[in-house]
Amino acid sequence: MVASTSLSRPISYVGGHTLMFNSATLADNIYWHYTPNINYSLGLDYQKDKITGQQFPSARLTYLINRKNSDTSQRNLYLKTGVGLNDTNNHFYALTGDWETRRLFVGFSAKQVSGDGYDLFEQSVTFGLAPYLGDYGALHTWLMIKSKKNDFDNKRATYPVLRVFKGGALIEFGYHKRTNWDVHLMYRF
Amino acid sequence: MKKLLLAILLLTATAPQAAEHEMEHMHSHKGHVHDTMVDGQTLSVDAERFDNFVNAVPSDQIVVISVQGMVCDFCARGIEKTFDKDNTVTKIDVDLASGKVLLAYSQAVKIDRTVIEKNILNNGLNATAIQVIGK
Repeated sequence: MVASTSLSRPISYVGGHTLMFNSATLADNIYWHYTPNINYSLGLDYQKDKITGQQFPSARLTYLINRKNSDTSQRNLYLKTGVGLNDTNNHFYALTGDWETRRLFVGFSAKQVSGDGYDLFEQSVTFGLAPYLGDYGALHTWLMIKSKKNDFDNKRATYPVLRVFKGGALIEFGYHKRTNWDVHLMYRF
Repeated sequence: MKKLLLAILLLTATAPQAAEHEMEHMHSHKGHVHDTMVDGQTLSVDAERFDNFVNAVPSDQIVVISVQGMVCDFCARGIEKTFDKDNTVTKIDVDLASGKVLLAYSQAVKIDRTVIEKNILNNGLNATAIQVIGK
């Protein structure tokens, strides 16, 4: 189970649902979560490993450890965890955080994934810049740089990411010559 | 890495706080509407946006909320969805640039600031000032 830990708002507003699709080097996954309380979200994830073809359905919890709002910024720190539904030996936990203004974004993720016969630690950091400030309801664009590394191949991959969103929909593309496409779709409702 | 994660946890252990300020004076002129609060802070709203909003609901009372943490469209959308569920709210406008939310209520509605604060908090944001403008 190679858990995706997207940096895009893992907790919604109270009563909100979020549907995500991720496609990365090692796995594809579909993830839905619901926010019953502003401090946490509960979700279900279905993942398919691209190398082994194995399927990993899991239940997930994201907990907001800390949030600091200011007039111009928001900072978040989250604890994420998940456990396999068909094999509880498959599990992960992660610490992720972000700081965001309307113009700048900085995020990080550190996650440990474990299962039968494997352990994987992955870390990433993302920097983003909004080239223009869109009004509410407009098309919003972020130009980002993401750098990630895991102890599977122990090589750092740093690559550009384009994030655009409008209304409740977000799409994000990243590309690196070694890890290929990293695609993230999200819809919030 | 474990030490780094522990240090981050310790440094960010401050819980978010919501605050409310009471208004004591308001005036408007071309460009902005200004409100002076008891604590001396000033609340300003984009005048053109405010006028457009008021003109669309000329007989309603208006609430201006200053919101902290509203830095992205998703945050704003959550606020709109939350207040959409309140049948007493007749119109909503979210201004990302100024961090303001405008709400309209009919004159018969008794506005509950606590409910407004809670709705903002349910989006993970903080209402730092709530001003009710009667007609």
